[in-house]
Formats: sequence, structure tokens, C-alpha cells
Amino acid sequence: MSQTTITFTQGPVVEEQVYLTLAELCQACCAEQEHVLTWVLEGVLEPVGASPQEWRFGGQSLRRTRLALRLARDLDINPPGVALALDLLDEIAELRARIQCSGPGR
Amino acid sequence: MKFKDYYETIGLARDATQDDIKRAYRKLARKYHPDVSKDPDAEARFKELGEAYAVLKDPEKRAAYDQMGSQWKTGQDFQPPPGWDAGFEFSGRDSGHGPGSEFSDFFESLFGRPGHSGQHMHAPGQDHHAKVLIDLADAYHGARRSVSLRMPMLDAQGRVTTQERTLDVNIPKGIRAGQHLRLAGQGAPGFGEGAAGDLYLEIAFKPDAQFRSDGRDIYLTLPLAPWEAALGASITAPTPEGPVQLTIPPGSAAGRQLRLKERGIPGTPPGDLYVVLAIALPPADKEEAKEAYRAMAKAFDFNPRTHLEGSAP
Repeated sequence: MSQTTITFTQGPVVEEQVYLTLAELCQACCAEQEHVLTWVLEGVLEPVGASPQEWRFGGQSLRRTRLALRLARDLDINPPGVALALDLLDEIAELRARIQCSGPGR
Repeated sequence: MKFKDYYETIGLARDATQDDIKRAYRKLARKYHPDVSKDPDAEARFKELGEAYAVLKDPEKRAAYDQMGSQWKTGQDFQPPPGWDAGFEFSGRDSGHGPGSEFSDFFESLFGRPGHSGQHMHAPGQDHHAKVLIDLADAYHGARRSVSLRMPMLDAQGRVTTQERTLDVNIPKGIRAGQHLRLAGQGAPGFGEGAAGDLYLEIAFKPDAQFRSDGRDIYLTLPLAPWEAALGASITAPTPEGPVQLTIPPGSAAGRQLRLKERGIPGTPPGDLYVVLAIALPPADKEEAKEAYRAMAKAFDFNPRTHLEGSAP
């Protein structure tokens, strides 16, 4: 059983125009607050603001939080391991981009 | 319905210990995790693996599965025998997996559908995530793109149905691969008086035969004939905004990058377009061509291996 509806919609670019509160980030990623708190302590996420109530997460936190969540859940990695994996994945992405850009076309 | 051999999926014999199963799962999960693996089948493999592990890690489910016997092979037509699970009690018919994990019909026929977490009377709907492929040109000009989404929904009787929705999405000029659009209220409906969740749409570019992107910067590989690279030339090169006339400086080496300022993806600041020069050798397949190469050999006192001299055996 299915039905189809068509809706016109637009919205902001998260990475450029959106800052998320702790609650919004958790809702957006289906994450629990305590996990996000641990990842902030571990340096995986770097919000601005003094206390968790005042924290604002830049839009790129969305991708990092979802990635951290999947790695922690699927591979049972602890927070320092998640932090290390994310740093290494960033480095791999950067190296791949460099190869792709300087290398010959396909 | 096809039988699934979970032991085969995880690569172990039927008498494997729970520790073996955990170890094998962890190892394969790291190998095929879609966020880590570049294997094109990673996502499918990882899903299969998750399903196999959901059964084998749980001694109750594993015992029930084992009871079906070892004569079954993956892909065989299969119906669970009546009363197959008599005497087994599963602690909660749920897999404990997060949202988005879907198990096969085979799994569901044996162990039921993975349960949903408790829902409050009034709660906002979940935020959803989806990915949309756009053309690079859409990032230069902005566009409206249709996105078809299929969302599993619970109907009034609590059954799962699929609702298909088409969203006509405004793609803003200047968007880059990997960025997300937040579409308010387009996620899952709320419960009770709770508001609907949001939909986060991740942008990716369709593979392009000519251009590659790195953030706002765009790269193009431009092949040159050896004489164009050596003597300089004026060449028409494609850009996402249409062809431009490029001046190739004399003595250009392969790998040299010419930067066309602000011809990348628009924004503040706009990206740049990098033209990476490559040198293509004309084939020596005709007598005239061979003669031309011989003339070159005579004309140049050229040894491309001077820096290797002294190290040759």
C-alpha cells in the first residue's frame, strides 16, 4: 500500500547557515545526550559556548555526530576509539581528494 | 522466501563458540562498514552481517535457528515449519538495532520485525536523512530537483506501510558535495500533538566525466599534444559554465595546474577552477609518424634519465 504526494520545499544549508543546540543535534541524529557529551569531552565535536545549555554546534557536527554514532553502535568502539577513527577518516578523505585532484582524469 | 545461512555469512562452522562469533563479526564489520570500506558491496554485506549477528549472538535465537538443521543452503526456498519455535521464548521480539536497520523477510518470518522504541503520547517526529544526487551545473546555477522518498509508516492498526512522497526541492546556488539541506517538517510525523521531524538531505554530485570537485574548487584534466605543451598554445577548454579560451604557456610540464580564479562553485568566497595539464603522446602507427619521432630523436640531445645515472647496475 502506498500513496504519493508532491510538495515543494526549501531549507537552509546546514553547514553554512545553521547552528544546532545540544537538543537539536540529538534530535537530528537520533543520538542520546550523554553520547554527545562524551564526544565533546573527547574532542570529536567542538561546540562554541560555555555550558551544555549554551552550546551551539556548527553544521558540520551533523555529519560527524552521525558517523560517530554509527561507528560506536556498529563496531562497538569506545569514545577515544571513535575520536581516533574520525581523525583517520578525515585524513583518508583528504588524501583521496588530493590524489583525485592531481591525478589524470578517468 | 530464501533460506539464509548465517554461519556462511559470518564465515564460521556451526559449532563456533560465542566468542568466535563475536570476534568474526567484529572483524568483518570493520572490513565492510559502509563508512570505512570502499568496497562497492559494503553496504549490502554489512547489512547481511548485522542480520546474521543479531541471530547468532543471541543464544536463544541461535538455538532456535540451529534447530532447523544444517541441511539448508543459502538461496533455497524456505518456509518455517509449523510450530518451529515451540519451546523457545525470545526476550522481546526486537533486535536492539537502531532505526533504519531492516532485516530480510527470512529473519522476520522467524523472529518478527525489529521492534520500535517506546513512543510518548506527545512527541516530535523523528528527523530523517536522505541523499540526493545533483549535477555539478546545479551547484553553479541553483535548481529545483524532485526527490522521491519512501518512508515506512505505521497505519492506524499498527501495520507498517510504505508511503511514497515526492519532494520538489530548491537546490541553492553554491551548494557543495557533502553539505546538507534542512527541510523543516518533512521528517516523520509527530505523535499526538508533537511537531513533525525535519528531513536532512545530503547533497552528492553525479559522477562527471570531465570535472572533479574538492569543496568549492573544481578540477579538470586537460590533455595537450607535446608541441602544445612545449611551444605554448591557445586552447578551448570546457568549464561547467561553458567553454573558455585558455593560454597554455610555453614549456608547460605535465601535472602543471592553471588556476582560473573564481570559476569554481559560486559562494563567498567563490571556488577556483584548476586545469591540470596532461601530455598525450601521438601514436607512432604510421611511417610519417615514426619518421617524425626519429627526427625528434636526432634534433634533441635529450636524456630523460640523467637523474638516474650512477644508480644503474
